[in-house]
Amino acid sequence: MAHCERAAKPLLQCLQKSYPRALPTLQVQSTRAFQTTAFAREEAQAEPKSQPFHKAPDPALVSSPRLERRLIRQGVSPIGSRRRRAALQSSPNVPFEQLPYQCFQEARKVLLADREEKLKEIVSMREKIARLQAVPTEEAGGEQVKKSRLVAMELHLERLKILADINDPLVKKKFEDGQGDMSKPIYRYLADRKWREYRRKILVQRITQMKVIPDVLPHCDPVVDTKLYFGRSPVQPGEFVNSRVSTSAPKLDVQLFDRGEKLVTIAVVDSDVPNVEKDGFDYRMHYLAVNVPISAVSTKVDLSKLSSDSQVVLPWLPPVAQKGSPYHRLSVFIMEQKDSKPLDFAAVKAKETTRDNKLLRTLQARYHLKAIGAHLFRTEWDSTMAEVMKENGYAEVDMELRRKRVEPLPYKRRNPSTFR
Amino acid sequence: MRSLSPVLASLANVFKIPISQTSTRPSVTRVCNETLLKKSTSGPVTSAVQAPAARSFSTTNALLKRKGGGPRGDRRVTLIRYFLHHPKTPRPLRFSRTRYLRHWTIHRAWQLFQAQQRRSEQLELQRQWQAMNAACEELRTGAGDGGKLFRKSMNKRGVFRDLFPIEYGRLQTEAPSQEGWNHEWKRMEKK
Repeated sequence: MAHCERAAKPLLQCLQKSYPRALPTLQVQSTRAFQTTAFAREEAQAEPKSQPFHKAPDPALVSSPRLERRLIRQGVSPIGSRRRRAALQSSPNVPFEQLPYQCFQEARKVLLADREEKLKEIVSMREKIARLQAVPTEEAGGEQVKKSRLVAMELHLERLKILADINDPLVKKKFEDGQGDMSKPIYRYLADRKWREYRRKILVQRITQMKVIPDVLPHCDPVVDTKLYFGRSPVQPGEFVNSRVSTSAPKLDVQLFDRGEKLVTIAVVDSDVPNVEKDGFDYRMHYLAVNVPISAVSTKVDLSKLSSDSQVVLPWLPPVAQKGSPYHRLSVFIMEQKDSKPLDFAAVKAKETTRDNKLLRTLQARYHLKAIGAHLFRTEWDSTMAEVMKENGYAEVDMELRRKRVEPLPYKRRNPSTFR
Repeated sequence: MRSLSPVLASLANVFKIPISQTSTRPSVTRVCNETLLKKSTSGPVTSAVQAPAARSFSTTNALLKRKGGGPRGDRRVTLIRYFLHHPKTPRPLRFSRTRYLRHWTIHRAWQLFQAQQRRSEQLELQRQWQAMNAACEELRTGAGDGGKLFRKSMNKRGVFRDLFPIEYGRLQTEAPSQEGWNHEWKRMEKK
C-alpha cells in the first residue's frame, strides 16, 4: 500500500503545483462544454464530506487495504486499481474537457465550432421540412416528388444529428463504458456500427452455413441485434444447449437501432424433426408470440413472461432430439409486423393451433411479416434428454434412430482383361 | 556456459536456433581439436576416422542439413518476426484511457479541419470556374458583335506553336525571390 502512495506522490505534487493556477481561467472559459457531467460529480463529492473518510469510504478513492476490505464486505467493490485510487485521493479531479493541454483545448474549440454549425444546419433543415410539408401537393410537383424529397430531407436530418455528436470524446467514452442512452440517435448509430463490425457477421455466417436461411426462410437481413439467454447465461448463435437448460423459455434481448416502437412476432422453429415414414425431416413450431412491442430503450423480452391471453399463440415447448438423430437447429426469428399494426390475436390463435409442420414461410406470407432479426441454437441427444422427453410426454423415449445401412455393391472386377 | 548478449539471444530465438548448441560450440571445438592433436601425434589419420569428428564442427541445424533445407517457412514471415522482435524495435505506443481520448479528440479535430479546408478550396475553385463561365457567356451574348470576340478568345490556335506560356519564360522556383522585382535590370548592351 505504502509504495502505491509513494509512487503516486511525485505525480500528485506536480499536479498540485500546476493546477491551482491553471484551473480558474479554464473554468471561466468552458461555459458550455459538450456535456455537463463534471458538475454532477463535484456535487456528489461535496455531499459526504460531513462524515470522516474512514467511516464512509468512497469506493473511487479508498486505498488502504483495511477500508477496502470493509467496503467489499458491504458489497461495494472499489473502482479502478489501488494505484489509481491513491493518485485520485489528492488530485484536483479536473473534468476531462478542462484538462489543460493546449493542443487538446484547441482541438475542442474546432470540434465545438463544427458542432454549432451542425446544430444550425439541423434547425434550418427542420424548418425546410416543415415548409415543404405545408406546401400543398399540387404545387410541390405531385405526390411522388414531394414524398421522395421529404424522405431525402429526413435522411439528411438524421445524418446531421449523428454528425453533430460523433466527434465528442465524452460520447465516445460513455458509449465505450456501455452507458450510452439508446434514445439518442448517436448512441444508436455507434451501437449499430459496433454490432455490424463483428457480431452481425458471426450471426449471418452461422445462419447461412447451417442453412437456416434457405431452410426456414428464403431470406433474412438482420437489422436488430438479438441476444439469447437461458436463465442468465448467454447463448452464442449456433451453440449447443443442454436439454435441461432449455426446458424453460429463453429470454431475448432485442436491440433495435431505429427510432420508435415496433410490434414484432417472435417464432422459434425446429427445422430438423426426423420423420421416419418419409425418411426426411419435418418442421415444428416451438414458440409463437405476436404483438410483442420492442423499441431502442426497452429491449428485454422474456418469452415466458409474455401475456398468454394477448401475445403468446403457442407457448414454449422444450426442444428435444431423439437419440441417434442429427442435431436440431432451433432458429429464433424476430419478424416485424407490417406498419407496426397489431395482429388480431384471437384470429391468429384460432388459426394456428398445430405445431407440427408449421412453415414459417406460410406465416410470413399470411400475416405480411418481415424478418428483421434472427438467432440460432442447437440441441442434440444428451444425458438429460430422456427425462426431458418423459416430462413432456414423448413416446418412445428409449428408441434410438439409426441410419439405414447402405449395402455395399458386390465386388466385381472391372474390365478383367487389363488385369491379366 | 557463456551467456549470449541479449541481441544475439533474441535473434536466436527468432530464428529458432537452439541456444544451448551455439553456446556450447566453442567447448566442443576445443574438445575436438584436442582429440585431433592426440590422433596426429599417435599416427596418420585416415579419412574414415575424420568424418564423424568433422560432423560435430557443423553449425547447421540437423533439420536444416536435410535435403530440401528443412522447414524454412515463409521468408516474409521470418523478416517480419526479425524486425518485430528485434531488441532495438521500440515498444508499441501505449496510452492511458484519457490520454487516448485526448489523442482521438485531436485526431478528429485535425481530420475535420482538413476536410473543411478541402471543401473550401473546392468551393473556391468552383466559384472561379463559374465566374469565368459567366464572363464568357456575357462576352458571347452581351458584347453586341454577334459573338465575334468570344469566338476569337476561344481560339486556341497557335498557343503552343508561336509563343509558349509566360510561366515557362523563366525557371520555376518554389517561392518568389528575396528582393521581389528587380526594377534596375536592363538588357545587356550588345557590343
